[in-house]
Order: sequence, then structure tokens, then C-alpha cells
Amino acid sequence: MIEHQHISNYIAACQDFIRRRGSATHSESTDGEFDFLARSLFRLQFDGLPLYRRFCEARGATQDSVSSWQQIPALPVAAFKEFEVTTINPRDRVAVFHSSGTTAQSPGRHFHSAESLVLYEASLLSPFKTAVLGDFNELAATERVGSPDKLEFLILTPPPAQVPHSSLVHMFETVRREFGANDSMFVGRLDPSGAWEIDNDAALFALRRSMCANHPLLILGTAFSFVHLMDRLAVSNIRYKLVEGSRVMETGGYKGRSRALPRPELHELIARHLGIPASNIVCEYGMSELSSQAYDLMFAPVVEARTALTAHSNPPRQSHTDNVVPVPRSPVSDNDAGVRRVFRFPPWARARVISPENSLPVADGEMGIIQVFDLANARSVMAIQTEDLAIKRGDGFELIGRTALAEPRGCSLMAAELFRSA
Amino acid sequence: MNIPNYFLSDLPKEASLTPSMLSDACYALKRNRAQYLSPRSTDELIRTLDSIGRQWLLPEYPWRKLALERGPEQLHFTRQTLERGLDSFFRELTGEKMESFISAELGHRHRLDDLVMTGNEHRERRSGMARGPELLLHITAGNVPNPTLMSMVLGILTRSAQFVKCASGSALLPGLFAHSIYETDPKLGACIELAEWPGGKTDLEDVMIAEADIVTVTGADETIDTLRKRLPSDRRCLAYGNRMSFGYITKEAISGFGTSQVVEDAATDVIAWNQLGCLSPHLFYVESGGRTTPDDFASLLATELDRREQIEPRGPVPMNVATNIASRRSFYEVRAAHSPETRLRASPNSTAWTVVFENDPTFILSCLHRFVHVKAVENVQQALRAAEIVRGKVSSVGIAAAEDKAHQLAVTLARWGATRICPLGKMQTPPFAWRHDGRPALADLITWTDWEQ
Repeated sequence: MIEHQHISNYIAACQDFIRRRGSATHSESTDGEFDFLARSLFRLQFDGLPLYRRFCEARGATQDSVSSWQQIPALPVAAFKEFEVTTINPRDRVAVFHSSGTTAQSPGRHFHSAESLVLYEASLLSPFKTAVLGDFNELAATERVGSPDKLEFLILTPPPAQVPHSSLVHMFETVRREFGANDSMFVGRLDPSGAWEIDNDAALFALRRSMCANHPLLILGTAFSFVHLMDRLAVSNIRYKLVEGSRVMETGGYKGRSRALPRPELHELIARHLGIPASNIVCEYGMSELSSQAYDLMFAPVVEARTALTAHSNPPRQSHTDNVVPVPRSPVSDNDAGVRRVFRFPPWARARVISPENSLPVADGEMGIIQVFDLANARSVMAIQTEDLAIKRGDGFELIGRTALAEPRGCSLMAAELFRSA
Repeated sequence: MNIPNYFLSDLPKEASLTPSMLSDACYALKRNRAQYLSPRSTDELIRTLDSIGRQWLLPEYPWRKLALERGPEQLHFTRQTLERGLDSFFRELTGEKMESFISAELGHRHRLDDLVMTGNEHRERRSGMARGPELLLHITAGNVPNPTLMSMVLGILTRSAQFVKCASGSALLPGLFAHSIYETDPKLGACIELAEWPGGKTDLEDVMIAEADIVTVTGADETIDTLRKRLPSDRRCLAYGNRMSFGYITKEAISGFGTSQVVEDAATDVIAWNQLGCLSPHLFYVESGGRTTPDDFASLLATELDRREQIEPRGPVPMNVATNIASRRSFYEVRAAHSPETRLRASPNSTAWTVVFENDPTFILSCLHRFVHVKAVENVQQALRAAEIVRGKVSSVGIAAAEDKAHQLAVTLARWGATRICPLGKMQTPPFAWRHDGRPALADLITWTDWEQ
């Protein structure tokens, strides 16, 4: 186990970085600092994790040979399934997040100490605020939404007490505590088999209550939980129009738990049944093995964001923004079809898309495997190679999806189970 | 060379098929069969197929040339892989082999022509005649072409009109084979139809299911289950679902001069059709205790695969395949860093070939495309215990063993449930008379008429 003082110093430095850069709009200016912290953390993890050290040495990478973060070997995410990828002493582990939602397969495990959990929470808060809440506070201030100072959250997953090993639910609980109104609620639950389902009555109640109160609502969930909710609304032919400013945060794959829908189709259903346009749907990319998340609306400038937010309501209300030339919030428009959603991580995490053939970074517009270098992964491994495909788009990536056949043929569900229980 | 539009699969990609087009095609097929195919004799059909088979082996045969020109682009097999695969099929398509095949399956080579008596039937004064179905529908998987070509040959031998439904992107070789038949014997060619559409187009498939007398289907178990549910109860369905194969190498086979041949044969089985057929090995069980250790064998196999990559390259693979290979490689890389019980050997800067050695004998499925596992075992009993999870799903076991040990080994494997045991190096080149998944390929297609005199 690595020397405690060193890792604490690192975590303090990383937290400071997050505090300062949490609302930065561009990551370029942080290159030097990112590189310094990445190499510091690499050294700590190289020393502290024999498994990772041997993996690096087999690739010819040592503490001395790595002179920039790009040279840090990325550990395959599958390693979390087979090994304890952590520098945390068993007695200091206060939480473990699992990648699998079923008991059939051994899940990937990401351990946290009290200290690393604080870093995880720090890492997730400000990007969430920027990407998902975005302009909400300003909208509230200008009384464009009839809302109290906090947005009400409707969370489609089970509450943390029921699923203590879900990093996603931990994240939802953290953002709810920080940003959510008192009325916010989890409406998911476990069915007798342990699978996640939605308490439809509770969900419908929350939807109706927000409309009656004329309060906007933020609905958070996995893609499959949204499919379940849309199926329920479709059965009764319900077509709500939630209060302006309402929004959706959607994440994760399907893992065989509902019918899989292409993203634009799901977004169309959300628009049809809840009156929330695609421009108010934020997609998140994360996994239990990481501590930072990528969003497809990261750091959208407030004015642009508002223009897009109000684009669907007609007629537009008079305000001081009316003389602003409406700029569609790139890369999302009201109609998702044919639109690229480009994901970006906050400045303390970088994604790289590499060729599966030769492991070299691909050119812009080319497809490859996502590697993530996450400074907030202090007590596991910072550099992770996922099994997800993406197309490199500038400093971000367009998600193509999880590789369906990462596990042996004939057991395709297992491949999905490598990832966070969504 | 421009291919004439004889078949639905020759239509331009943008042309979409309709149920009525398919009904018309079925009507024409049945009419043509009655006129041109039913009256033919087995000998005549064998002569025609034999002649076509010989031509396909000639480098200058236009249909073969076309297959080798277009195959790499359309089927993702390199020219060398295609050549090897086509040769292995057409070398078997000889008059002699077809005759003995029919005799073996039906008892007499004229069973399809006339009421014939054989053996004990003379004493009982009982004769029998075999009839093929009027219309045969083949639903093919498309991972490798040879099973489809074989199905077409069987259809001709049983005098059936046939409709070959190819999986998207896989119609090239069956199509060229059909064209070569049409060119040699247009009336025979007129009893075959081919089309290509992605599975699940129920409006098209329902027309075909309603018209066909027998449906043969090759593909994933789920595909077959779905199809079976849609078949009328009286429709015969010959289903070939998920199967897999492996190799077994005894310690004696890799203890002497023959070792390099065994390694070469193992590589041949991995390379053939880029390991994509159900006859291709997912792994090799290698006995410990010989002069070559299982790990050394894996090393030799890696060297051989590297050498063969230079002369019979695998070729590019789709992105999701490359990603699977890369992901699985990195998984074993972690394991190998953790323990000497695992070794990873792989082509540098490409996903062309991968050999994973493990001391743990647990059966594991490969992600194919020349990605193979080598597993150390003490003996065949240990290997079969480890392979218990795929028991009943194993098609071929390629063996390398000294003659005195081979028979006992084969009996053990047969009792365990393997449906085909063959020498290593021949896994993807089954003989013409191969009983597909342990079933009589021809006999399953026919209906008997007995005459008790």
C-alpha cells in the first residue's frame, strides 16, 4: 500500500484543481497542470499497485520512462472484474461500486476510502451543475420559470439504501443533496429478482405534481429506465407537457433489461410523452470504474443554452436575450436525428480514442476504443481502457456504443455486464 | 465481367423485394423443377456437378476469378483464404464421392431414380424409392460460404427446386456458384433462386415458409427458435444451430519429428475461413508431459501464425471485431502480468493473430478471426471435464495422436458427444459425406416410398 501522506497530498492537489477548474470552459489551458498531476498519480499507483506495476513493466513503461500523460499505460476495465484494483487498505474501504447488475457474473469493483469518496463527489458536482443545470439558476432569477430556487429532481433509479453498490445512484444522491429541491424523489425500486424497475404511480405523481405547481422538473435515469417510463406513458396514451425549463439527464446502455432503442428514437419518445425537447436532454457517459463523467453539453455558454432551451416554446417571451442572435446549442438541436452528440470530460479527465489495431490515437473523425485518464481516480488506476467505441470529434468523442461481443460469443449479455450497473 | 440478372440476388442493391415477387419466384421454381429437374437421372446430375466442380478448381475459370476478385471486398476474406476455402469444397465435389455418398446414405445410388432393393430387402421382397422435396428453402448464416454451397448440391441431388435466402452481404459465392450451374446447364440453373435480405423480414419469410416443403436453417440458436415458432407444424425443418469445435493434441504427437507438422496443422485450422465456421477450433487442448510443453506449443503456434500471416493474411476486420480482439487481448495481458500461468502472444501493431496460453483447462470461446486459446491438460478426461459446459454443442474435434492412441481417443470423444473427429489440419475441410452435426445430410431431406411386393 502506498504511503498515506503522499496520496493525501495528491488528493488535496487534485481537489484544488477541481475547485479552480470546475467551471472552466476549455481544457487547453490546463494541459501543463493535468500532465503534472497525471504523472504524479501514475507514480503513486505504479508504486502502490503491484498488479498495475507488472502490467506497465510488461509494456516497457516505468516511472522513469513515462514523460507525459499520453505514455501512461491504460489498464483494461475488465481488470476490475478479476482483481482488486485499489491502493486502499481493506479496513479503510468505506464503499465499493459494482459494475454488474446481476449476480450471474462477477462484477467489476471500484473501492473507495472516505477520502477518495470526497474526491469522487467533488469531481462529479461541478460538471453536473454546468451540463445539466446549466442556465437554470439564471432562468429562475429572471423569473422565466416559475420556480423556487431549487429544481425538483425525479430520479428513476432505486434509492441509495437499496443499491449501495451503484456508483450512478451514489452520484444521483450526491447531486440531489446538493442541488435538488426538497420534493425530489427516487421512484425506482428492486423487483423480486433484484432487477431495477420503476414505481410508475410514484413517477406519474411526481410528473403531475410538477405541472400543477408549475415547477420545472429534472428527470434523471438510465436509458432503460426511460424506456420503461415511456412504455408506461404510452399504454395510457399520456402526453404531458412539462413546465418550461424541465430537462432530462440520461445515461447508460440497456444491458438486456428493456428493449434497446436508438438514442434519437428514445429522445423522440421523451419529447412526445413529456414535452421535453432533445435540446433539453443531456446525455452522460460514465462507469463505476471512473470518478469523472463526460457530458454531451459540457460547458455550453449560458446565452446559447438559453436560446436553445426556449426555442421550443412559442411565442418567445420578451426578454433582454431577444436581441441575441439565436445560436443553436451545438451539437444538439431540438431534433436529435442526424445530430452528433459530442461528449467531453471536465478538465481533470481526458478521453483518448485509440485504434484497436495498433493502439495509437486515431485521427479526427475516425473510430476507435475510448481510453480515459481520470485524475479523480486517485485510489484505483487513473488510466482506463474501456470497451466502448467512439469517433474522435475534436477534443471530445461521439459515442458509438459498447462493444456487443466483448465476452465470448453466445454469452453476449455478459459483455454489457462488464459495465456499471445502470 | 458483367453478371446477368438471372437471380434476385443479382438485382441492384436499391431494388427491394416484395412478397409477390417471391410468390412468383416460387411458382416459377416449381414449374421449372417439374419440367426440367424431376425427369433427370442421378447419374446425369452427378456428371453435371462433377464437371462444374472440376472447372471451379481451374485458376482461369471465370466464376472462380470473379469470386477471388470480389470476395475480399464483399466477404472480408483475403484472396488466399478464399482460394483455400473454395479448393477444399470443390475438390470434394467429384462424381465418385457423390455416388458413394448417395449409396452410403440411401443404400443404393439409384434410390432417387427408381424403386430399388438392397441387401435384406431382396429376401423381404421390399423395394424403396427416395424423393426429395418439391421446394427446399435454405436460410443460411453467411459466416462461411461452404455449407451453403453444400446445401445447394444436396438440393440438386434430391431434384428439389431451391430458394437460397442469404444473410445480408453473403450472397456472392452462392450466387456465383448458381451462375456457374446456370451457364453449364440453364435448365438446372432455372430451378434455383437466390435472394439476400436481413433476417427478420417476416413478410418475405412468411411467403417462403408457406411455399417450401422443407426448410434448412443455419444460424444462431435464437434465430432458429424464432423461425421454428413460425413454421406450420407439418413443415420439416433441418436446423443447424450454434456449434463449436476444438483441437486435442497428445503429448506423443509433439515429442518427436512430427511436432512441426502438428503446429502447422493447428495453424491451418485457425487460418481456414479466419476461424469463422463452426468447424474451426476455439482452442487447442495440449497434453503436458511431452518433449514440447503446452506453453512451448503455444509459442510455436504463434511463430507459425506469424509466418502464415505473410503468405495467407487474415485481412482487415470490422471495427467491432478489432475492438473485441483488442479488449480480450488486454484482458489476458493483465492476467499474464499477474501470473505465469497465462501467456499472451499476439501480432504486433495489428489484430491479425493472437495465441493465449493458459494452464487452466476451463473451456473458453474465442472471439475468432484468428484468436486461439491453448490450454494445458493432463489427459483427455481432464479436457472433457473442462469442456462439459459445451457438451452437446461440439461439432468437430481435430486430433493429433499416434495411431495406437488415436482410436481409443476417438471412441472417448465419440462417447462424450463430439459429432466429428478428424485429423488436425482438416477441421475446416470436411469430406463430401460429412454428417452435418451428426445427422445424415441427404437422408434427412428425402421421403421414402416403400413397395412391398
